[in-house]
Amino acid sequence: MMHIAPDPWEAMVKHARETYPNECCGAMLGSIDGERKLVLAAMPLENAFDGAQAARYQLRPEDLLAADRAARQRKMDLIGIYHSHPDCDAYFSKTDLRNSCPWYSFVVLSIRNGEFHHANSWLPDADQTEAAKEELTY
Amino acid sequence: MARILIPTPLRQFTGKQDAVSAAGATVGEVLDALAAAYPDLRKQIFTADGALRSFVNVYLNDEDIRYLARSDTPAAGGDTISLVPSIAGGSAALAPPAAAEALTNDEILRYSRHLIIPEVGVEGQQKLKAAKVLLVGAGGLGAPLGLYLAAAGIGRIGIVDFDVVDVTNLQRQVIHSTRDVGRKKIDSAAEKMLAINPALRVTKHETALASGNALEILKDYDLVVDGTDNFPTRYLVNDACVLLGKPNVYGSIFRFEGQSTIFACPGGPCYRCLYPEPPPPGLVPSCAEGGVLGILPGTIGLIQATETVKLILGIGEPLVGRLLLYDALAMRFRELKLRRNPECPACGEHPTITRLIDYHEFCGVPSPRSAAPAQESGVNEGEIGVTELKAKLDRGDNFVLIDVREPQEYGICSIPGSKLMPLGELPKRIGELDRTADIVIHCKSGGRSARACGLLRQAGFARVRNLVGGILAWSDKVDPSVPKY
Repeated sequence: MMHIAPDPWEAMVKHARETYPNECCGAMLGSIDGERKLVLAAMPLENAFDGAQAARYQLRPEDLLAADRAARQRKMDLIGIYHSHPDCDAYFSKTDLRNSCPWYSFVVLSIRNGEFHHANSWLPDADQTEAAKEELTY
Repeated sequence: MARILIPTPLRQFTGKQDAVSAAGATVGEVLDALAAAYPDLRKQIFTADGALRSFVNVYLNDEDIRYLARSDTPAAGGDTISLVPSIAGGSAALAPPAAAEALTNDEILRYSRHLIIPEVGVEGQQKLKAAKVLLVGAGGLGAPLGLYLAAAGIGRIGIVDFDVVDVTNLQRQVIHSTRDVGRKKIDSAAEKMLAINPALRVTKHETALASGNALEILKDYDLVVDGTDNFPTRYLVNDACVLLGKPNVYGSIFRFEGQSTIFACPGGPCYRCLYPEPPPPGLVPSCAEGGVLGILPGTIGLIQATETVKLILGIGEPLVGRLLLYDALAMRFRELKLRRNPECPACGEHPTITRLIDYHEFCGVPSPRSAAPAQESGVNEGEIGVTELKAKLDRGDNFVLIDVREPQEYGICSIPGSKLMPLGELPKRIGELDRTADIVIHCKSGGRSARACGLLRQAGFARVRNLVGGILAWSDKVDPSVPKY
């Protein structure tokens, strides 16, 4: 299960609303205790997708490397990636699944008409064929 | 000796260490040593063949090794190696329409049961109004699709069809009425849809969808709903949708079973990922040959209509990467996972289908244009016409007349003196026939009997002829008392 603390949650929703009608993306830092994950900081990253960003996002590996470094400096862990689905439910799409990795939790925020609607957290399996829903609180 | 930073989720495989050192002169050697020291870590980073997993990028200090010397990049003592996954994604939702047109008061009243669902609301109804959907075919699947999509408030619906309403259509194609027999399906369908929803804008494409016109027709629509009943058009619709990046809401029906899924959605599979090659011609019977429960296209067409509306609204989980199978007799739904094939010739990493091809040739079936004259000009080598058959029977010639239809078809009507040997049983019953005999084979309209002739000729039968036009032609030209079906 994953819990997102108020500050990073506010930052993620703000990022998703500001990026609307395009998708936003970023990294989530915090701590892991077994399967219990606590997000203590959100790090907005640039959507580097080359094309229409209303329904796509891409993270630069360099940015993810920087996020991992920032986490280590702050004695935290990089535990997940978040992105938004403008005017669309927070399901884990085939595009999401295919371009994911089984190491992290993936939080999807549904933004409808510019406002936050709902969110889900997903755990892709090792072969990226399926993603299980992870309990999410914020 | 280089230091490797271990991503948090992988530290469970390294005894919770966030960095480990491993020996090696190159990055490749260091990673091999790492995998050897921590076997559980190996499958997180490497595939079974020993290649780096597709999502893993390796950085030496601040540089991606793909831009250095890949795994041969030298690694020295002070170097740090990082494993960074490549991550992307997206909703793959339809692009939102540029400017949403407001709903009129009449529309607010008409769609009130939609507007009070939180998932639809005014905003969703505006999306439906702005949407442009193309129906390929106004037949069994097209009938419920046309009626319900018109009622749901889709703004523009295009219909591609060049067929005429036949009395045998009425058992399932509920958009056409008895009085429409003989009318163009496109006119009959448009009339019913406009009767339900006069605000709908219908575009009639009265043509056979073909390689030459498909891209031009499809390009103006947001998504395509495939209601066709033949393989060439199915491959054509698929390839055109992949090339244009438009979702293809697919459905197919046979007897008591149906299938549905969405192809060509970004990230999801296409029809060719599922079926790279068409089945041999004649192996899969059409509805005209095999029959179909009249209600079945209603069920499958409405699944397609549901997925169409969901895609437009961006709600729920679309039927992408899942093939829904419906068995009406068992009354069961099942689901098969479909995966996008990276080697797919249409939507794979290195596509070879970069433009539309000749789909009739690809599927090994005659194109409608080349087939038509053969029927009109009558009888070719290895064939016999119905009037000649009648004369042969009247003369009392010594020959064998074989009917290769199914028993239930034989029960509807038959030609006097014929022997029933269903096509499927022919190979094992071939011993019942005399190789030197004069043989005439017939079926309903000439397709199955042509295959039966080929089968017998291959087995060494020399005097085999196919009855042109089958029992339908017999009813037309020889004996009108024989019912047509």
